[in-house]
Amino acid sequence: MNDTEINLALRSLHQKEALSFYTAIAPWLVGFCLFTAGPLLISLGASFTDWDLLTNPRWIGLENYRNLATDPYFAQSIKVTLAYTAAYVPLDLVGGLLLALLVRPRLKGIGIFRTIFYLPTVFSGVAFVVVWLWMLNPNGGLINLALGWFGIEGPRWLLDPKYALWSLILMSFWGWGRSMALYLGGMQSIPGELYEAAAMDGAGSFRQFFAVTLPLLSPTIFFNLVLSMIATFQSFTSAFVATNGGPLDSTLFLVLYIYRQAFEFFNMGYATALAWVLFAIILILTLLLLRSQRFWVFYLGERSE
Amino acid sequence: MKTLYRFLLVTILLSLVLSACTTTAPSTPAASESTVVIRAGTGDGGDGLTPHQQIIQNFEDQNPNVIVQLEPVSGRDYYARLLTQLAAKAAPDIMQIGDDAVPSFVTKNAFIPLDTYLKDSNFDASIYLPGLLEPGKIDGKQYLLPKDYSPLAVYYNKKLFDAASVPYPVDGWTWEDLLATAQKLTLKDPSGNVTQWGIQLPAAWTTGFEYWVAAAGGSLISKDGKNFAGAMDSPEVARAVQFYADLYNKYQVAPQPADMNAFGGGNSEFANGKAAMMLFGRWPQGGFKTNPNISLGVVAPPKDKVRANILFWGGFGIATSSKEADTAFKYLSYVSGEPGAQVWKDWALPAVKSVADSSGLSKDPIEGVWIGELNYLMPRAYTFTPYWNETADPALRRVLESVILDPNADVKGLLAQAAKDAQAAMDKLGE
Repeated sequence: MNDTEINLALRSLHQKEALSFYTAIAPWLVGFCLFTAGPLLISLGASFTDWDLLTNPRWIGLENYRNLATDPYFAQSIKVTLAYTAAYVPLDLVGGLLLALLVRPRLKGIGIFRTIFYLPTVFSGVAFVVVWLWMLNPNGGLINLALGWFGIEGPRWLLDPKYALWSLILMSFWGWGRSMALYLGGMQSIPGELYEAAAMDGAGSFRQFFAVTLPLLSPTIFFNLVLSMIATFQSFTSAFVATNGGPLDSTLFLVLYIYRQAFEFFNMGYATALAWVLFAIILILTLLLLRSQRFWVFYLGERSE
Repeated sequence: MKTLYRFLLVTILLSLVLSACTTTAPSTPAASESTVVIRAGTGDGGDGLTPHQQIIQNFEDQNPNVIVQLEPVSGRDYYARLLTQLAAKAAPDIMQIGDDAVPSFVTKNAFIPLDTYLKDSNFDASIYLPGLLEPGKIDGKQYLLPKDYSPLAVYYNKKLFDAASVPYPVDGWTWEDLLATAQKLTLKDPSGNVTQWGIQLPAAWTTGFEYWVAAAGGSLISKDGKNFAGAMDSPEVARAVQFYADLYNKYQVAPQPADMNAFGGGNSEFANGKAAMMLFGRWPQGGFKTNPNISLGVVAPPKDKVRANILFWGGFGIATSSKEADTAFKYLSYVSGEPGAQVWKDWALPAVKSVADSSGLSKDPIEGVWIGELNYLMPRAYTFTPYWNETADPALRRVLESVILDPNADVKGLLAQAAKDAQAAMDKLGE
């Protein structure tokens, strides 16, 4: 074979490779264009229209976005969503970490506990909200019954505007298993010799946790933080099933309000504008978090400054 | 190995493309050339589908060249699904919707007017019981025909009345009679805990609350459908809200709602034999009749200034996008007509008078009460504006939640605020 022949052979190999590459990702590519990119663009376009889904959309420019400013329910839903995120995300980060530490030791039967803690995240959202509805029932629900044994008269939970959002936060504790699993994975990738070295230097388990585990876990914490922030901003199921945003709009999540505008009030244009605002908020917060990374996230193999 | 891989790829790709097609246009059963297939959408589910299926079976037996495909989507997703289908121009030929969705669907051209069909086919629209055509009518044109319906009534448990030697409530009773009866039937143990409630009420159910407003002689919206001021904040509405709230908090004859979000408050006191009366529609009646805790009686809701009731209604219409409108009407006049009513009567109140009479339901001590209430219907607020649900409904809900939760709530102030909020939302739409 001379050089040209080799080149030709190489080129056809490249072409073949490219072809099989595109064939292999075709299902994803087609699916992405049809079911993600397409609707995404359509929703962006729809946000500049007055569209009730039944008649043709009418172009109204930025009016939907201008109307946001005077919409009291939009303001309320932003307030509720921010409050929920601010309460839930830290609880999820700490709670998941505590759970992970609890089930970390390789004891006999520990797999059972890991499974139990992880299980709720696999359940259907609606099913577990319904179970919580029974537990939170003020008359004879499990939680108030238990509080009653200690002589405490439990609150009316989902029926009380002061407690309704907290009830939803309480419900969301069942999602801790997800971050627990991620933390466990992160902990397993911490080299054992670091602990040996720390032990030789006389560090106790607390010191080991703060000097070794926590810094080396910071990428996982960061990952959990971003993921849980994004997911919390999009909370919907618990409020949709348990409270429908009430009482007195105390659990009116932004996504629930979007659903209401779209499918109950037939204002698809306004609903898509709301959705893009939600996207902008999440995007900005995610970018801020990414920027903050270099101050507190430590990657192994990287030199800290 | 390589061929297997290729085969797999092709299969995956094919199935992807095919599934993409089938999601927009559901597959139809094999049909011969002369066979017409029509699709019927319904929001019913579970047992509620049986009468649909039975009627379709009867219809297909008589019309061998027509296949009716039932497309059920139960629960709150029904309208979301229907709207998406309409937007994609893939809506079922026959669509079932509920009363307060009629104005928005019709004003947005989702349904065809039936008047020419009714005239051409000599369909006798006077077969229906009073008030049952109106919810399907917009601007004098008929768009939907009735499926089923329910007014409100008061259920009572004869066992509890007998035990307390309280006479049963009778038609024509008043709000004061209701309060007095409920007080006699609210029982407490020596330490002051309520062991039995006078009446179970439907919490912050806004549409159900329109009965109280109508009975007090009030209205939540002006007749031209534009103003809430002077209606929602009127003394009549204030009296209705105050009386309702007092049943909960001042006289404490009604149990607090168990679940503010559940339809009707999610209470189970009446079903458990722990409440003597209950104000609601006919929907749970089947369960009450077989419930060993209950010996059931039903009476008209009490009157205040006005002997009033309101109607909850579901109906069928033909989609504008239907390509088989003639066949669809044939089925529509069957399912909503006398043959359909013969089947419905075993499941819900029949809409056709002759069926209600011949089956004895009109004279039945329980069913007769519901049917008789059709003579006292007042128009619901949604009939005055297609924007009721997004303007005033959230405002009214706020008022009801507030007065139920807070015994010291300022009813007049809350209603004034609600009228203002609803008006602001309405004015914004008009811009």
